[in-house]
Amino acid sequence: MAQVDLSRIEVREANELIRKCGEDGENVDVLNPDARHHIGVGLTSPITVRVHGSAGYFCAGLTDGARFEVENNAGWGLADNIYNGTVVVGGNAGAIAGVAIRGAEVVIKGNMGSRAGQVMKAGTLLCCGNANFMAGYMMYGGRIIILGDSGERIGEDMSAGDIYVAGNVQSLGSDAELTDLPADELDDIRTFLDTHKIPFRGTFQKVQNAGQKLRYGSAEPQVRSIPFFSFSGKTDYWNSKVQEDVYIKSQIGRYRIRGYGGARVLPHMTDLAFRKTIRPDLADADIAKQVEMETEIGGINGANPLKLSMPVMVAPMSYGALSASTKRAIGLASTLSGIAENTGEGGMSNAQRDAAEQLIFQCLGGRLGWNIHDMKRADGLEIYISQGAKPGLGGQLMAKKVTPELAAIRGIPAGIDLRSPSRHPDILGADDLVIKVQEFREATGYKLPVSVKLGAGRVRDDIKIATKDEFDFVELDGMQGSTGAGSAEVLEYVGIPTLAAIIEAIDALEEIEARDKIQIVLMGGFRDGIDAVKSLCLGADAVAFGTAAIVAGGCIACMQCHIGQCVTGIATQDPEHEARYKPDLESQNIHRFFESVRWQMAAITQGLGYTDVRQLSRDDLVALTPEAAAITGLPYEPEHRDETEAFAIKAS
Amino acid sequence: MCGIAGIMYKETGDGRNTSTGQALIDMLDGCQHRGPDSTGFALYGDMQPGHLKLRFFVGSGSEAEKAVARIKQILSDHSATIEEDEIIGNNYRAVVEFSGNLQKLSYDLEHAAKVISIGSSLEIVKDIGGAHDVDATYHVHNFSGTHGLGHVRLATESDVKPEAAHPFWATGFADIAIVHNGQITNYWKMRRRLQQRGFEFNTDNDSELIAVYLADKLQQGVKLEEALKTSIDDLDGTFSFLVSTKEEIGYAKDRLAVKPMVMYETDDMIAIASEEVSLNKLFPGQALNTMEPAPGTFRTWHR
Repeated sequence: MAQVDLSRIEVREANELIRKCGEDGENVDVLNPDARHHIGVGLTSPITVRVHGSAGYFCAGLTDGARFEVENNAGWGLADNIYNGTVVVGGNAGAIAGVAIRGAEVVIKGNMGSRAGQVMKAGTLLCCGNANFMAGYMMYGGRIIILGDSGERIGEDMSAGDIYVAGNVQSLGSDAELTDLPADELDDIRTFLDTHKIPFRGTFQKVQNAGQKLRYGSAEPQVRSIPFFSFSGKTDYWNSKVQEDVYIKSQIGRYRIRGYGGARVLPHMTDLAFRKTIRPDLADADIAKQVEMETEIGGINGANPLKLSMPVMVAPMSYGALSASTKRAIGLASTLSGIAENTGEGGMSNAQRDAAEQLIFQCLGGRLGWNIHDMKRADGLEIYISQGAKPGLGGQLMAKKVTPELAAIRGIPAGIDLRSPSRHPDILGADDLVIKVQEFREATGYKLPVSVKLGAGRVRDDIKIATKDEFDFVELDGMQGSTGAGSAEVLEYVGIPTLAAIIEAIDALEEIEARDKIQIVLMGGFRDGIDAVKSLCLGADAVAFGTAAIVAGGCIACMQCHIGQCVTGIATQDPEHEARYKPDLESQNIHRFFESVRWQMAAITQGLGYTDVRQLSRDDLVALTPEAAAITGLPYEPEHRDETEAFAIKAS
Repeated sequence: MCGIAGIMYKETGDGRNTSTGQALIDMLDGCQHRGPDSTGFALYGDMQPGHLKLRFFVGSGSEAEKAVARIKQILSDHSATIEEDEIIGNNYRAVVEFSGNLQKLSYDLEHAAKVISIGSSLEIVKDIGGAHDVDATYHVHNFSGTHGLGHVRLATESDVKPEAAHPFWATGFADIAIVHNGQITNYWKMRRRLQQRGFEFNTDNDSELIAVYLADKLQQGVKLEEALKTSIDDLDGTFSFLVSTKEEIGYAKDRLAVKPMVMYETDDMIAIASEEVSLNKLFPGQALNTMEPAPGTFRTWHR
């Protein structure tokens, strides 16, 4: 039996010792915990950890297989995302006890705080006292047993799982209902209580999902395909896009959900030009070798950085929105081009991990597919706050795509119209966020970069918060970004254009003298190396491509990603459709696209008279429109337009 | 976006009330991760009848001299006699004898300088940096007294300036201070309502609104407990806040329970903080029987 004394050492050192004990199969006593955060986080060995006192936030979080015994109280987020194992708390637990658990037995002898069991997927959460407000909020599975009173709005928007309340059910949440308790379920509960030596012989009321909100009342119809390029960019008052919108609304009687980004014309990188005339026709064929482009992202706070052969990444896109084959093709292409790929929401598949040499693992509010084992095999961790296409909103994955395989990796019921939560259970402000970031670093031994994905909305404030919360980099996503499914009104009208986002971000960082304290990866509607170079000129450290990579890999831009019957096999989970997709072939296409980006970036950088992409600056740009000039503060020089057009012809 | 702390030693206690400043420093040190930008304290000390304690941000050098001259002129105009005064850090502190209209004096002073606090008992100390940084400049650990509040701030929507730090004084009302964690989303609407009735605001910080809102109620003769109750209905957004007056301390928490708060009460004292780790700083090595207030609740303690 080993001892760690938190009055003598920091939690970080203690956790390293606990993990070491885990490897040696030795149990651990934690002395003088004094409610410190992150005790035991990331432990994946079957040992017992006894906390002699109170634990702070995220005790036993992101663990698998261990037993934790906390003598007194536990703070917020007890047993966060635990897989297997047992956690017993002698006193009370704070808010969101049992958040996002994927299994395990969590026993709280006292009361538990608000929103207990939020987005939990499996396992048992037992509270021997009273629960507070909204227990079982958005839960997807597992069971919550409450021996005391329920608190208000129990089972709010739960999709599945069972809640049993022995005391008074104060009020039911949205889409929750009371039912009779089947005898076998009572037997199961009693067996569980006996196992944990809880002497309780009363009976229970059962709360379950009422089934009113699991599916949209009407499905999106599949319609004649209007490709994105004819759909967008038109200023006509009535056009084929408007016609399609009206038609679809006439069928479904509600707001429309569709794939791709907004179709409105917004100020963008095309409204800027290079100040100097560039002659790409004079560039060498092997110019990419002559310009320094290698870029490290994520190492500024001491983590192992991503090593990019050029300042380019793949934008986060999920297995779910996209087929496994597509994710594999993108992963392979990222490896061939020496850049980083990103899981997006919905977990990491083996195929994805094997294909991509450098892979960022993204964590969203629903914690769908988030787990300690994949965190440990990732090359970077990313907290998604929002995305440019629909800032502030959760995602939709329509039932057609929620197959049993996909549901298993996400830990949710199959066949529901999945609405991902718009916010994280344990990130309700910058102050909670800093504790969350710390948890990820503790769980992975401070080795991995931790980034944040921000949809451009309140950029000035958000980027300052990201810096203060010590993220290593931010993936900043402008309004021109796309999505697999979003409400059409939001895609068109919510957000800040990519061009304005980067300007605000740089301004904000200069205001607090922190430009060197965080790196920025800019994305949102980039099509080529020209957009990329302009972004670097404006101050981004790297850029990311999403839609362009998909199009390079065979997407026909029909915008029906949400339907789930993608004819190219990209945005589908249907094996018949997916069979059309040839990942090995498409990975070569995507790779060649990224190589064209590399060539363009090198040619322009050299054309501007530099040998390294880090020499690019604002001074290399002018604005072609009054709007772009107003947004960027660059000189308005529309006469450069002709040269830009000539360049486009020569470069193509 | 912050961490908050409050402590009151009860009259029945064992006389440990000499350590309020140090207790708050320890509690804030425990939750400094919640707010690295600035730290502040509201401290309630001894009162002398007919006297007010004033604190101002005056900066340094000639800027400070000019500010102090303006303050002295206003005090003189209002027949307030300076009994003692000093410059500490970037503060000017004065104790004055005064018997006129306090709200009028406060507003006039505010137009001339940056007022931090005015009270017969209350003094607010706040500046950028951590709890120990602020203590090093202002010697907070020397403050004795019966009760006090503390705050660590992570600036999000307003600037990192000393005057945007908490605690907030209820501008125009002596001895009322608040610390707040959260965001009041109907700030401008509520502020306009109070402004239409003649109240002035020193900052654009939503937390100042809570202080003025409560002070207005108290001035109308409403009990603090009742004012906290109505605040839960009237204020929209996320909040856990603490309020203190000359003889009371209280809390209110929003209905969605978005912001944390834990309390620990004994026969001697009541301590409230964002996180239990702050409470354990007062009682190292002990397992405390703490309690998390329910959503939409409020409570006061009286000395």
